[in-house]
Amino acid sequence: MTQTLPPPFDPELAAALGVIHEMLPPFTLDSLAEARGGGAVAGPTDDELRRDGAFTVTERVVPGLGDDPDITLLICTPTAAAGTLGCVYHTHGGGMVIGDRRTGVDGMLDWAAQFGLVVVSVEYRLAPETPHPGPIDDCYAGLLWTAAHADELGFDPARLIVAGGSAGGGLAAALALRARDEGGPELLGQMLMCPMLDDRSDTPSAVQMDGLGVWDRQANLMGWSALLGDRRGGPEVSPYAAPARAADLSGLPPAFIDVGSAETFRDEDVAYATRIWQAGGRAELHVWPGGFHGFDMMAPAAAISQDARAARVRWLNRLFS
Amino acid sequence: MRLAALDADAGAALRVIAYFDSLTETRAGLQAIVRGAAVLAGCAARLDDHGRRVHVRVDAEGNAAPAPESVDALWMRTLLVPDGSAVLALERTGEPGPVEAMILERAAGAARAVLDRTRGRAPAADPALVELAVDASAPSDVRDQAVHQLNLAVAGVRAVALPTGPALLPPGVVPSWARAGIGPAVVPAELPASYAAARVALRFAADGTPEDPGPTVVRHDELGALAVLADLPAGADVPDLHRLEHATTAAPWALSTLYAYADAASLRAAATALRLHHSTLQDRITQAAHLLGWPITTPAGRLRLQVALTLRRLRRHP
Repeated sequence: MTQTLPPPFDPELAAALGVIHEMLPPFTLDSLAEARGGGAVAGPTDDELRRDGAFTVTERVVPGLGDDPDITLLICTPTAAAGTLGCVYHTHGGGMVIGDRRTGVDGMLDWAAQFGLVVVSVEYRLAPETPHPGPIDDCYAGLLWTAAHADELGFDPARLIVAGGSAGGGLAAALALRARDEGGPELLGQMLMCPMLDDRSDTPSAVQMDGLGVWDRQANLMGWSALLGDRRGGPEVSPYAAPARAADLSGLPPAFIDVGSAETFRDEDVAYATRIWQAGGRAELHVWPGGFHGFDMMAPAAAISQDARAARVRWLNRLFS
Repeated sequence: MRLAALDADAGAALRVIAYFDSLTETRAGLQAIVRGAAVLAGCAARLDDHGRRVHVRVDAEGNAAPAPESVDALWMRTLLVPDGSAVLALERTGEPGPVEAMILERAAGAARAVLDRTRGRAPAADPALVELAVDASAPSDVRDQAVHQLNLAVAGVRAVALPTGPALLPPGVVPSWARAGIGPAVVPAELPASYAAARVALRFAADGTPEDPGPTVVRHDELGALAVLADLPAGADVPDLHRLEHATTAAPWALSTLYAYADAASLRAAATALRLHHSTLQDRITQAAHLLGWPITTPAGRLRLQVALTLRRLRRHP
């Protein structure tokens, strides 16, 4: 394709980007240890998760798939919710290579408080130490356990959604595919926030934004290589690793997909929503102009970030009401 | 990014500079600028442009709070325009620290650029509201509502009398009108009284021209007992005014010389103000005193001169 100018960043996001670049760890395989230990990706503490008693926080160690090691689930239950609870099963982001079960849970708690949801966040093993299918297997094992223990956790299994951002969005999309294919839990919805879906990373947006913004093409290729090794970009990649590879996107739970116009994932995320519609499915797509990857989390105060969060809440409101 | 994590070090200041430079470069709007100030400072921030009736308020989380609460005179603030009709404030009291000062300076610079760009389209302040606020005959609740609509419901506000009509001066703001009388600081309910005093003060304010030398902005607070001169009936015959008129007609330089002499702390200071050699000034003073018909170098004579000059100004500005 002809190299074209990238879309400009939103003014507020552009101003924040300078600070973000100072604070974000560099994304290379060599510097992973540093990135994993850095404070920039630290999740909330138990005390922060409790939100002055609004939630109880527990952890459960549950079996992995087959002979896989046990996995830990972080479970936050609203203490004051009236009526039937739902559940948001959360797969954290971090390019498949960093983050833990606490990463991004804050945002889940906002929804949980508003809609009466139990939050379950899974500690899946990370690449490159654990390549595909280890991470998605861990996520799926946790989903199976969660759905099977709905009574014990106190939620209505008909009100179970999966949600994740970035790599977590890709994992959530993969969970929906796998639950469909393997007769797993019925999901009420899938919340895919700027999801990482396509290991080929060769769309116009991936090329256009190379070297720009957050999580550019080089970082993305690093993440996929960590997960897939030599299989990345080849013919044999499983849709449970890279949901964009799924040939059939019919029969999926309603999807919410959002993405920035100025990020690597724009075109693969737009394509995923489009293919869901073409397959006769339900999807809501938001493309936020001038948004870089993860803008609403990294620059939460910006007007466009507020709007992006509000759009998710409105979708959840329609889903749960 | 948690910009609130910024601390008061040099790096934080550099980030503040880069942040607002970027907003200006990308022509971000006023709300983005005020939001930047709020988020960077970790407290609500607001821009109140009374002239253009632009009010933007954003809380520390970046949410627009479109119904501004009343202002606190002790907030950290900076003026966007010299006359104080547009103010950018952080809703935090006390002396600004280095980062807060940097935020105010940079956000004000960015906001000024936006206001300048959009000035032509901005609506003017509603003079009717200001007139209501200072109108003693208006019911107090109507006045109160007007003050709130002007976003000036704050103790320490002053009424200002301009040749064109009333204006209001928020606390802590330096006026820069061409000619104005400024009333005492009051609670909003007492603005009519402040305005009455401001109108008296305006009569003491000169045009600042060779024909009307004198202070152009006069505070009623500073008039003291001189204020009673304003009560002199317009038709009262004051012989000293005739003598002053005679002197200024006879010698074109007399008025400015007499005013400079009456107003200055010393002969030398007056000479400096007039850009004259002090011996030249000495000669002129002798000549002017002769034209006036009374000595002006004695304390009593100088007071008589000052009163005559003041009465002349009051007659020019009835």
